[in-house]
Amino acid sequence: MIDTAQDLKEYKKRLKNALHNDFLRQTLKNFYEAYPAGRARALEGLDVQGLRAQIAACKDQALPRIEELFETFKTHAEAAGVKVHLARTALDANEIIATIAKDNGVKKIVKSKSMTAEETFLNHHLEQEGLEVVETDLGEWIIQLRHEGPSHMVMPAIHLSRQEVADLFTKVTEEPQEPDIEKLVKVARREMRKHFLSADMGISGANFAIAPTGTLGIISNEGNARLTTTLPRVHVALVGLDKLVPDLHTALQILKVLPPSATGQVITSYVTWITGATECTTAPGGKKEMHVVFLDNGRLALARDPVFSQALRCVRCGACANVCPIYSLVGGHNYGHVYIGAIGLILTYFYHGRKNAQAIVQNCLSCQACKSVCPAGIDLPHLIKETYGEVLRQGYPKPFKNKLLARVLKDRRLFHFLLRRAYLAQKPLARPKGGLIRHLPFFFGKEHDFRSLPAIAKTPFRDMWSRLYEKVENPRYRVALFGGCLVDFVYPEQGHALIKLLKGRGVQLEYPLGQTCCGLPAQALGEKDVAREVALQNLKAIDPSDYDYIVTLCASCASHLKEAYPRLLEDEPGLAVKVKQLTDKLIDFSSFMTTVLKVSPKEFQGSRKKVAYHSPCHLCRGLGVTQEPRDLLAAAGLDYRTARREDVCCGMAGSYSFEFPELSAELLRQKLDAVEETGAELLVTDCPGCVLQLRGGMDKRGAKIKVKHIAEAVAEEKKG
Amino acid sequence: MNHSRNMEILKERAEAVQVVVTEVPDPAQAWRYAVELTQKQGGAAIAAPGWDPDSLAALEKECAQAGLGLYRQNLRDQIGGFHTGLTRADWGIAATGTLVLESTSEDLRLATMLCETHVAVLPRSRLKPDSLSLEAELAKLMGEPPRYLAFITGASRTADIERVLTLGVHGPLELHLLILED
Ligand code: SF4
Ligand code: SF4
Repeated sequence: MIDTAQDLKEYKKRLKNALHNDFLRQTLKNFYEAYPAGRARALEGLDVQGLRAQIAACKDQALPRIEELFETFKTHAEAAGVKVHLARTALDANEIIATIAKDNGVKKIVKSKSMTAEETFLNHHLEQEGLEVVETDLGEWIIQLRHEGPSHMVMPAIHLSRQEVADLFTKVTEEPQEPDIEKLVKVARREMRKHFLSADMGISGANFAIAPTGTLGIISNEGNARLTTTLPRVHVALVGLDKLVPDLHTALQILKVLPPSATGQVITSYVTWITGATECTTAPGGKKEMHVVFLDNGRLALARDPVFSQALRCVRCGACANVCPIYSLVGGHNYGHVYIGAIGLILTYFYHGRKNAQAIVQNCLSCQACKSVCPAGIDLPHLIKETYGEVLRQGYPKPFKNKLLARVLKDRRLFHFLLRRAYLAQKPLARPKGGLIRHLPFFFGKEHDFRSLPAIAKTPFRDMWSRLYEKVENPRYRVALFGGCLVDFVYPEQGHALIKLLKGRGVQLEYPLGQTCCGLPAQALGEKDVAREVALQNLKAIDPSDYDYIVTLCASCASHLKEAYPRLLEDEPGLAVKVKQLTDKLIDFSSFMTTVLKVSPKEFQGSRKKVAYHSPCHLCRGLGVTQEPRDLLAAAGLDYRTARREDVCCGMAGSYSFEFPELSAELLRQKLDAVEETGAELLVTDCPGCVLQLRGGMDKRGAKIKVKHIAEAVAEEKKG
Repeated sequence: MNHSRNMEILKERAEAVQVVVTEVPDPAQAWRYAVELTQKQGGAAIAAPGWDPDSLAALEKECAQAGLGLYRQNLRDQIGGFHTGLTRADWGIAATGTLVLESTSEDLRLATMLCETHVAVLPRSRLKPDSLSLEAELAKLMGEPPRYLAFITGASRTADIERVLTLGVHGPLELHLLILED
């Protein structure tokens, strides 16, 4: 039975175990590394963005009409001899199916893969009713025999080795079985044939329920869904209401992207389209006894939810797990309840309750890798944070850091006062040089010791501003710098680098002092009200109409301003214009240098220093900026060396690295290994948060490679 | 895109999923292919539902000469008894290397699901560039129930143990596509 950690302490214990499971780690790593190329190959020649937008739009239009689509489906399917049921709850669905089995004198059931049946724990129910249920998808059969839940939505037994499967099959067949995959598959084929031929009823899921013809569409590779729907005299399909589509066209569009997203296949071996009760020579009257049970279980209400309805666009491809750096470290049994991966963190709360969701939902980097591949265009990291917010609202005890943050962040003066105080408090701990802390303060455990932490700067950027400010006559551009907390209080030198680079270019730079934290940390902890409050303060401090551009040195701040502010402030009619101006004028440092100021190699020394680059999540996926920083490195005369997987999260992710230090450390280790392989002497990135993580990690491993913000590295190359 | 380019794409995509693609000039060659393949693989019989009487007569003769059994219907009674399933394909979809089989007849389904080797014959003219260009035909068929339509792309496969690709977990171990001149 599935047993998901219900509190953080237990959860962290399990995460630690998973990190030490070498087989699991290796399997997941192989898949994680192979998947992106496979997906890309399978999608070659398709307009992926266009398809994603179409699928999202189709699903969004269908959601408010689900009940109508259900009626249409029912009318057509019933006219074709199918009985259509609507189950309000999981238990309803299970009981309906058990009754069908009894009414038809069923003893043995074969089942092809259905996540919806996993959701309702259908097998368990049917077995308690005295029915024999055999899963026929190889992976599902394996985990059924092991009494486990799936660890991936498409590859449910990905966590097991051939040896474990051989041991299992030895027990089941009572004959010794070798750990040879081809032979094991033959064993399954032989065993399964017997079951198929002796079963009275087949249960399947469906990927599509096409309303206007009452057709089910089922995707499978093994062909077991075909046998399940053909051999036994009774067929029951259990289908989530969200699988209803308005036409075949939508189904065919989804079919183009689903298999590539799931397993990197162009299409699965089989796609089966069933309309009506078909011929079945062993059934009374020569016709299949066919039932379709639609499951609500909260879906109708979810479809009407203004924030969460988009979760119902999900086509269950599993891509959000395939690309998730955390999934790749800890596996599905630690990254979902029944539904796995990013979507699992969300759906668990709705379908399987707060207790099962409350620990796992906190384990997200907001790195947006899932969002960038989801074929249904679901904003998964956003919904994960919203889900965490709901978990807190529904009574999960608020962590102390939430209370502290809520109190401090709303009050800029208090917040900045405390940061200045922190400088004094850390003084005895700070190293004389290098801006790093010598020892971690006592309240950090040793699991936090994977990176050195930076010291808070003696003089924050804002306190130097009056001296740094230079008036520019007849400026070409009026620019406001949005600094963010790290630049302001930890790395003011990054701001200095910007000033140095702007000199003599006709840029009137301003640093509006009323600005405060962008609010991302609050959002990350599910504190939407606080995030909204600071957003209002920042808009008050920086009136976008006063500037041509608002430049940031921090990718995280920028992506938060761009993505979250419109959402946070959408109910404030008067502010909509300002928010729009802000997001239109917002630009990251590298883009500003290359596309606006158009810097040229002539202005730089051309040192050809070897540099590696880390692509921050919030820059490459959040803002979609990928080329500009690389162009800037080239223009500045640096020798840019590509590293493996430059766009994978470094593990910082704000407070994440403090909550889950072991996972953060592992991501950092992989990142730094990749950088070291390049032979670079310098590592640059465009986010002070990433600088913190990467520099702290390099320092800990005693590496010679320096870590700098791209602005610093480029400023050092400037002539004169 | 023209027809011969589509044919190339179909072959490429199908071969990428281990389909054996062969062109045959006339039906007689298709029957011979199926018979010889069955013999070579040590099979004893062919299941060939859904063919017209003329085709069957020719096939029957080939099978008799080769000493192979031939089943045309009531395949429920022959489960385990046939090695090869020999069927037509109603359409081919180039973009994905897919065959479309109108499989409402139970015999046709059993032949394609329970054989060890599936040989499908696709008339050259029945090739479509992608699934959307077949949408109208499919929607029409779905509108006339009961209907069981199958997209078949390669043999039955699994990667459920250690993600190692293995063929023939439930359905056929091999798929052979014969492209027939018409
Ligand atoms: S949320 Fe998106 S990526 Fe994840 S399973 Fe659903 S459709 Fe696939
Ligand atoms: S945002 Fe990143 S860490 Fe969070 S679920 Fe998505 S891929 Fe995983």
